[in-house]
Amino acid sequence: MTARKKSEREALDLLADVLVEDILTAADKDILAELKEDNIDPERLAADMRALFERSILVANKRRLLAAKAGVAASSPSTRAAATTIDIQDARRRLRAVLETKGVSQRLTLAARKESELSDADILNMVEDLQDLGLLPPDGGQDGKA
Amino acid sequence: MSSGQTVAVRSRDEVAEAIRTLTSAQFARLKAVSRYYSSGRPIEPEDLLQMAFASAIDGRQCPAHVDVVRFLAGAMRSIAHGEAEKVEHRLVLVPVPKTGEQQDRDFEFPDTRPNPEEQMISEENAAALRDATLRLFEDDRQARDIAEGTMADMSVEELRELTDLDQTGYDSKRRLIRRRIDKAFPKGWKP
Repeated sequence: MTARKKSEREALDLLADVLVEDILTAADKDILAELKEDNIDPERLAADMRALFERSILVANKRRLLAAKAGVAASSPSTRAAATTIDIQDARRRLRAVLETKGVSQRLTLAARKESELSDADILNMVEDLQDLGLLPPDGGQDGKA
Repeated sequence: MSSGQTVAVRSRDEVAEAIRTLTSAQFARLKAVSRYYSSGRPIEPEDLLQMAFASAIDGRQCPAHVDVVRFLAGAMRSIAHGEAEKVEHRLVLVPVPKTGEQQDRDFEFPDTRPNPEEQMISEENAAALRDATLRLFEDDRQARDIAEGTMADMSVEELRELTDLDQTGYDSKRRLIRRRIDKAFPKGWKP
């Protein structure tokens, strides 16, 4: 066997890449058969993964909101402590106020206009976007309170 | 999307929708990928997966023609290989509260880029993991040769010649290798 000098980490990475390629190209029926072999409920696995994904969205939105607030705080004499919570109801209220502003609604997509149908994660994302567009003042000057 | 290119990319909502509608088999693949790329690294499979999800909807651009599962696998690979220090992949995690609750702690993902001391430890851990992996195939010379040869960057053709396997036999051995690793390290290998 011809062995080329590689670090141990690189060697493992090569094996990992092959394992990944194999799993990505395996047939669905083979994957499901393996789950059964491992006593894993496919539906439960999918539900858990979707829940993980939804948490990821909230975390990502939280990060963006915190970054936006940090950016505002950097130029603001505000003495508020860094926010660690998000008042979802307040965010929805602020968003509704913007959407009901004359002339603004027409500039947004249909999806954006249906605020009542949006998830909390979507609300946070939209608040962020509207702040970036200058259509929504950061926190509405309300200190996060309704 | 880079200027001058015309590759369509999925919007944030399209990526989210694509992920939400993945099948059980596709989710199972992602879970396996997170195990493989987190093995021997100071990151849990679920954390790696969460970082990839977050980067997919808020940072990385997913071309419309690229399979979302493969895209996420690539994201996990990049993150595991040390791109976590890049700003767009770092996450400040805070406990996600129910509306109205206060939370008083937050934390960050570990930086997966090692300092020199950590690099040495990482190599020691990698060596231990390599040995533990190869021990899984003490009863199967062909499987061991394929695993060891793969780690030595041998080509498929070289490995088939070495093990005297046709393509079907080679593919079967590869699957055997993967399944033994799956069973031996169901939550990924941690030092």
